[in-house]
Amino acid sequence: MSPLERAEANFAWKLVLPTIAVLSLLILYPLLYNIYLSFFDVQLNGDKAFVGLGNYTKLLANPDYYSAIGTTALYLLGTVVGTTLLGLAMALLLKDPFPGRGLVNAAIMLPYVAPVISVVFGWQFLFDPISGVFNYLMVDVLHIWTERVNLIGDPDSALGVVILFDIWKHAPIAYMLILSKLVSIPRDQYEAASIDGYGPVGRFFHVTLPELHFVLATVILLRLIWNLNRFEDVYLLAPNVQTLPIFTYYQAFTGVIDQGLAAATSVIQLGVLCVFIWFYIKKVMKW
Amino acid sequence: MKLNTLTLGLLSAGMLVSNMTYATTVEYWTTQTQSDRIQTIEVMAEVFEALNPGIDVKIIAVDENDMPKQIAAAAAANTLPDMIEVGSNLSLAFAEEGIVDMDATSEVVDKIGVDRFYQGALKLIENPQAQKYVAVPYRGWVQGIWYRADWFEEAGLEPPTSWESIEKAAEYFYKPEDNQYGILVGTKADSYAEQCYTQFALSNDAGQFDRDGNLIFNSEAQAEVLDYYKTLAKYNPPGPQTWRARDYYLQGKLAMFFYSSYILDDIALAEAAASSLSSENFSDLKGASFDPDLAKNTRLATTITKTSPSTFGTLVGFSIMTNDSKEEVAATQAFIEYMNEKDQVVAYSHMAVGGHLPVLKDIAETDEFLNDPKGIFAAYGKESIKEMVAGFENIRNFSVVDGKTFPDSGEIFAKQIIPRMVYSATIEDKDTQASLDWAETQMKQITDQ
Repeated sequence: MSPLERAEANFAWKLVLPTIAVLSLLILYPLLYNIYLSFFDVQLNGDKAFVGLGNYTKLLANPDYYSAIGTTALYLLGTVVGTTLLGLAMALLLKDPFPGRGLVNAAIMLPYVAPVISVVFGWQFLFDPISGVFNYLMVDVLHIWTERVNLIGDPDSALGVVILFDIWKHAPIAYMLILSKLVSIPRDQYEAASIDGYGPVGRFFHVTLPELHFVLATVILLRLIWNLNRFEDVYLLAPNVQTLPIFTYYQAFTGVIDQGLAAATSVIQLGVLCVFIWFYIKKVMKW
Repeated sequence: MKLNTLTLGLLSAGMLVSNMTYATTVEYWTTQTQSDRIQTIEVMAEVFEALNPGIDVKIIAVDENDMPKQIAAAAAANTLPDMIEVGSNLSLAFAEEGIVDMDATSEVVDKIGVDRFYQGALKLIENPQAQKYVAVPYRGWVQGIWYRADWFEEAGLEPPTSWESIEKAAEYFYKPEDNQYGILVGTKADSYAEQCYTQFALSNDAGQFDRDGNLIFNSEAQAEVLDYYKTLAKYNPPGPQTWRARDYYLQGKLAMFFYSSYILDDIALAEAAASSLSSENFSDLKGASFDPDLAKNTRLATTITKTSPSTFGTLVGFSIMTNDSKEEVAATQAFIEYMNEKDQVVAYSHMAVGGHLPVLKDIAETDEFLNDPKGIFAAYGKESIKEMVAGFENIRNFSVVDGKTFPDSGEIFAKQIIPRMVYSATIEDKDTQASLDWAETQMKQITDQ
């Protein structure tokens, strides 16, 4: 490195230093403090007693924790695959201009922009076992079912409903991201593929999909991160679906707040998330 | 509100007096924070001031949840109020901390007349070691099973007051093919489930703690309760159920459900019930319009009996706090006595019809009390209101055993251990003993701390 280059590099560091300092303060400090707290039994008045790995062993000895991990895995799989496929399908269907596309786009975005509390209540009323429209249609009008069911409440179907809800609510953002890339793929690539003898399916696999690789990877990665930490949708709709955030809430934030245990749970969750991201970036995205 | 011209005259006289310097101030902390209710209490206090020149009543509204914190701060700063209006558990807890003047409070109870109170209400605020009262019971609400008296009569069934009669009726009215259900007991993991469950547990003498503070939750009696509760839950609408019971009942889908007496106006008044009904949108949905006869056909069974009668509810009373000034204590006693006169009790009760039931037997039976301005009580008939208020005879809860409070019980409540146990037992079909073992383990984590 020449002296000039070195001076430039130093100058560059100086320019980004304030940003690094602010980010460290806002992100690194709470992160490290959280790890620190996870080794203590924290009282509400601020008193701390060092318990070593006590919080971790308490957590790992709890069978409910593993069941929460299982539920979370299913939830992640269902929601990430579902939103990505639905978003992709909608983008492919709606990529060519047609009259009223703006209106359709707005309608598609509606679930995503609507406040979660209002749509959750909407779903609860729709699926209400006694006076909900869904049961009314299935039992009284169409006679498909003989008995009314509580789809949201029943533990066997609750996870399915929660996944469906997430797909319905978040597919629009996948759709938007995928569509924006889709419309920018040059037409001549498709023409060239056609000349090479590819039909619509062949063109999809050899032109569209490779072009979408990065945007799909981004959608999947973002959805994984968001949904691993998703609390409000699940808790409001069906609190009996115990994903990790709900489990953490019951463990740590009901009754007297157990900050040490909560910190330990989130440290493990952060670790898992980091592994996820590392694997994804290095192996899948090959960045 | 019922304040006659005489009292209004006295009130204006009081205004004149209020310009003078006061010798004594009664600082009164209330958990009523809504402005219209505070105004009502202020008017009552002003009348008292007019009648008692030289006493100033200072009303301070404190949020219910902030009360323990505020009292702790005031005790530390030696600025405790003269009297507080709080739930019975808090009164007992404050008395154990030594900041309630039990002698002065008991004197007021004696003066008003021990026999005039519902006995269950007095038991909830009695400190048995000291044989004194920690509060003057004032108002409360009771929970119970609201049921369709007309359906019961038609079917020739007994009112749901015992385990047998409840189960029999629940089974009889359970007709899921007609979208009609026998009963609704809480099965979702929230406080509603805990309230329903607690009443059954106490009716079978299955408590959380014994009088020495030992955790005795995992018992044979408790297993009986949970088994019974699981049976009842079979006659519930499908899936985990909670507060929406109110809506389903108004829609005519339930024969019985648990709720507090706060619901009185919803059943009796069309405008209060409107949010539960959906006739505009689904005109052919059965039971979607307001049933004007519902109040008349509804009764509340407040007491459930298995091995002993139990009513679940909340009792609020006035506690006189420790104070060196004898004048202030005397003034506070006078004010509490005044608040227990009929006009004041009635005015206070009518602020929240059904939510503020009086605990003085003779007043609960007067026409003045039973004729509320909106005519809600009248819609049920006076007899059924009297029955409801009489639930205070047997009112009980988990955290008080022989007058001793166990603060751990509050923490067990906050951790939602019982609702979660109820949920897994009824909805996930978890074995009764396994559910109790789980709950006990969770409770021990709290009591061992």
